[in-house]
Amino acid sequence: MTSDPAETHYDVLIIGAGMSGCAAARALAVADPEQRRRILLIDRHRGAAPRFAGEFIHPRGAQVLDDLDFLGPLLRAGAAAVDGFTVLERADGRCVELPYRETAYPRKRGVAIHHKTLVQVMRAVVRDTCPQVELREGVALHELLRDETGRVVGARLERRPRGELFTVRADVVVGADGKASATRKLAGIAGEREIIGYTVGFLLPRARVPSPTHGNVILGARGPVLVYPIQQDPDGALHYRLTMDLPRELPARGRALTRYLERAFVPFLPSPLAGQTAQAIADASAAGRKLELAPTVNLPAPSATLPGLALIGDAAGCSHPITASGMTMGLRDAELLGREAARSHGRAHGGPWLDDLALARYRATHDRYVPTRQVLADAIYEAFRGEDEGARMIQRALFEYWIASPTARARSMALLSCAEGRPSVFLSEYLRAARHAVRTSLLPRHASHFPVSDRVRQVYSAAALARGKLGRALGVVWSQLRPDLSGSFNGTLDSLARVTRLG
Amino acid sequence: MHPESGKEGSGARPQESKRDPLSREQVRAAGLEGPVVQALRAHASAWLRAATRTEQPWLLHVPDIGVACEVLLADRLLRDLTPDERASLHAWIRAHQHESGAWLDTRGRPDHSLTVMGWWACAECGDDPASPRMVRAARVVHEFGGAQRANYTVRLWLALAGHIPWSWLPSMPAELWLLPTAAPVSPSRIAPWARGLMTPLLLLTETRARLHLVSAEPLLLTRPTEPGRQDQERVMIPPRLFRPGLVGDLMLAFDSALKLAKKIPRGPIRRLALGQARAWITQTQQPHGGWFSARPTLLCVIALRVMGAPYDDTRIRRGLDYLRRARGLTRVDGTLHLAQGLTTAPTAALAALATYATDPRRVDDLRWLISGELRERGEWQRRTNASAGGWPHEQDARRYLDIKSTCAVLDALRAVEPSSPLAPEAWAATRRASEIVLAMQEPDGSFARFERGESDVWMARLPWRDASILAAGPRFDRERVQVTAMVLHQLARLGWKQGDDRVARGLAWLERRCEGPGVLAALDLLTLRELALCCAALLAPGHPLRSRLERTIRARQRERGDFGGPVATALALRALLALHGSLCVQSERAARSLGESLRALPPAPSGAGPEVSEDPVVLDSLRVPGLGLSLHAHDFALAVKAITDAALAVKRHGGTI
Repeated sequence: MTSDPAETHYDVLIIGAGMSGCAAARALAVADPEQRRRILLIDRHRGAAPRFAGEFIHPRGAQVLDDLDFLGPLLRAGAAAVDGFTVLERADGRCVELPYRETAYPRKRGVAIHHKTLVQVMRAVVRDTCPQVELREGVALHELLRDETGRVVGARLERRPRGELFTVRADVVVGADGKASATRKLAGIAGEREIIGYTVGFLLPRARVPSPTHGNVILGARGPVLVYPIQQDPDGALHYRLTMDLPRELPARGRALTRYLERAFVPFLPSPLAGQTAQAIADASAAGRKLELAPTVNLPAPSATLPGLALIGDAAGCSHPITASGMTMGLRDAELLGREAARSHGRAHGGPWLDDLALARYRATHDRYVPTRQVLADAIYEAFRGEDEGARMIQRALFEYWIASPTARARSMALLSCAEGRPSVFLSEYLRAARHAVRTSLLPRHASHFPVSDRVRQVYSAAALARGKLGRALGVVWSQLRPDLSGSFNGTLDSLARVTRLG
Repeated sequence: MHPESGKEGSGARPQESKRDPLSREQVRAAGLEGPVVQALRAHASAWLRAATRTEQPWLLHVPDIGVACEVLLADRLLRDLTPDERASLHAWIRAHQHESGAWLDTRGRPDHSLTVMGWWACAECGDDPASPRMVRAARVVHEFGGAQRANYTVRLWLALAGHIPWSWLPSMPAELWLLPTAAPVSPSRIAPWARGLMTPLLLLTETRARLHLVSAEPLLLTRPTEPGRQDQERVMIPPRLFRPGLVGDLMLAFDSALKLAKKIPRGPIRRLALGQARAWITQTQQPHGGWFSARPTLLCVIALRVMGAPYDDTRIRRGLDYLRRARGLTRVDGTLHLAQGLTTAPTAALAALATYATDPRRVDDLRWLISGELRERGEWQRRTNASAGGWPHEQDARRYLDIKSTCAVLDALRAVEPSSPLAPEAWAATRRASEIVLAMQEPDGSFARFERGESDVWMARLPWRDASILAAGPRFDRERVQVTAMVLHQLARLGWKQGDDRVARGLAWLERRCEGPGVLAALDLLTLRELALCCAALLAPGHPLRSRLERTIRARQRERGDFGGPVATALALRALLALHGSLCVQSERAARSLGESLRALPPAPSGAGPEVSEDPVVLDSLRVPGLGLSLHAHDFALAVKAITDAALAVKRHGGTI
């Protein structure tokens, strides 16, 4: 591990030692109890990446962390347990609680932790518990190697900051290098990556938030605001992350941006959180610190595999972080990859550990849950941002739908927290929300004699938005049904072939 | 993305051209204001004190003499004015009479109705109708066709005095008051000002009220009963109630039929309708004692009296107290007079003064402004889908939302620092206000001022001569442009951008309204300034509307660098700085011109009286929309606001005054 031979062969090369990469490394290591395999895990940054990134993990993802023995160390490092979400329509408006406890998933608590702490702890766990895994920091992907058939067979890596290049051969390369994945670009996987805005984050020590152990979504400002705990002190005190959603066309830069945040977001937060946020902004400005700003990216799920290559986490598709499902998806990808590795575990050493069939199975399952998450995040973000009349109507309809029934809250939360994947549930939730949108568009909340023309316009806008999303909703349903249908079709063909051969 | 965007005048400016202007707060914090701005701040403080003191406040909005005349005429019934008040109001009315005998409108032309009311009020106060001044006024009225051809208010008073029959006023069936509020012809569909006028009027008409006033017959034009026989008894020439044309004739026939039908006994329905109108008057009296403004208050008080309420009835006393509080001092030709305002101290003017007068570190300086927020449901919420919030047109009003006042208070609340104990209250009020202004958007994209649909009154489409009083101005008037621009500017300051459909619709309306040759040139500088601030905040440089606006304002500069008086120069300078984003040759010349005119600025008042008089030179720049039949008023706080704002803007861009 101290020197790099000219060409070294690994069973798996994982590009990116963030949360998904570490989880994938650990999952693969767990799938190889005899420690016969070699896994190389690299990351371009020494220590955690400097950029502010995802920190909220749903119970489904927390279960994966627990299964991979990350959860204990994370909790000891100060990770905070979270009980679900609350959504505030306005700072002093209606509030809906969407708790995990009402979902059918057995684990009832998620976890949230500062991203840098998360990555440091996960790398430490990988280092300490996975002898098959070789973790190298400060190494970046330079080029993917392919054989004559186009199959990915390794990579040229660059040792930073010296720029020294070396070659690594691997049966499978796993791209876990995030939404701006170099692996994806070098592999030539087309992705319609689009920056849809920016998220600016602040740390609020011991903040007073409406629901302390929940992710608090606060609407009413120019974009949704998310507040969640990211650290729990030994005395039980919670520290929070507050994120504000900014549009793609940033309204200002530098100090002007801090003034913009004070004007456009702070007044729309509930008291006393507003005061604490204003103080955090002022402190950052006074100290001359740069704001923690990260782009929010929409990347409709590209092809997650190529021969010899798999993409996981944000590299394999990401959406707006409003549903906080990105981390959970990355963990599910890692879990799935580990499961495929475990399935191939008994295979004689010499052949590829994760062969094309295993990668195809990974992709088939991945393609089921990722589009669901993306469509949900897209729809929720559009509704919560409320930039047009239809979106505002959908937003109001969601509130009334959630307030009306605990079952509705449980079903929605199951979908949002990635604990539910059945197409029938997704489609029925979509249709129910659309029906509520039409109904609430007709009934004003405050006006006693709201003009009919206004009501009609609202209904039209809500219906137009719902109609626009219908295609994507059906696409999600199809993406979930397709593997089953094609599987049964292929099975039928196989049966026919067998019958023919027997005949 | 743009480095300077988010600040005024920098929507998406090229990065290399201008440097960041400082914010208002930064200029203050850095001590860069300089002596001129500090002197202007002292003036604003003095004005604020003078306008809010309880004994004889300084009148911030000075309307025409119409309301004062009505107060003097009504005093024959109400007996509320002291001799001093009566004399001072009388003197103010006389001070405004032109040497031709007429009372003039805001454009300096003789105003038929004002001249009738002025003549009559003077006569009521004891002026000799045979005096040359009164004779000249009567001649002017005769040239216009006699008092009976004046506006609705004048004919109402003529009918109350018994000079003309009640049938010369358009008829309004009492049964309308029984209609559900959603009905197109329900009184709830007309503008709030007109509702306050029509309801007492119904009661006065139905009871055939009669006041014993000094005769105004010399103002009525008559003709002999037989043509050519001057020696015979003469009869008055009736006015035409409807506009000429076939539809007008049909309406006239309908009106006659209605008046005939009124003679048929209608029994309980009419009684129910009148009861409904009486109940409305009682229910809608506001905490400050008045109704929508001075004129509706006066009519409601008269109606209550006519309907049998005793003189010491609480409603009447409170109404009269309100009218008294709506009076204030004003100076004409160096002499102090008492003038009757349309309202008590207007919130918008107080907020504008508070913006510059108060120290944001002193909590109590702005707490009173926040405490004026509307927290009760009001009639404006019938067609506006928003919870209570925003600010009314005048302090202590609780029923009528005013979007212009709301915008002015939002502007003032920007001075509240995040660390201030007042910040949570200010933020909460801002939050509610922003929802309300958005909810006040009309289907066409513009923003209403008092109530949604106030300019789209179905009954106002009839060819009735006085139909315009039922609506709060036409749908495309400059007032609507001002309100829409102010709302969009405030929304931009709160972070709204063009991506929001409501902002986009508002901007599209402004573009539609301002397109066409000469449209912008016809707007006054106050409206152009509001438009400029809105466009600078929301439209990128090079946008056609923004460019045309800048050209229009630049074209108005005179040879000496001014735009026609200190207030006009200040308004134009502020607009230019917002649109251009930095000082240019023209704005520097305007700043120099403004500085020269500021040398003549008198010292801040010590509290004894106002320091700016009704000087015709500055009056034109101070004109703001009035209420109802008093179409215009003069906003004296605007002078302080406009000049201080412009001076601060120059400082923010690194210039000097």
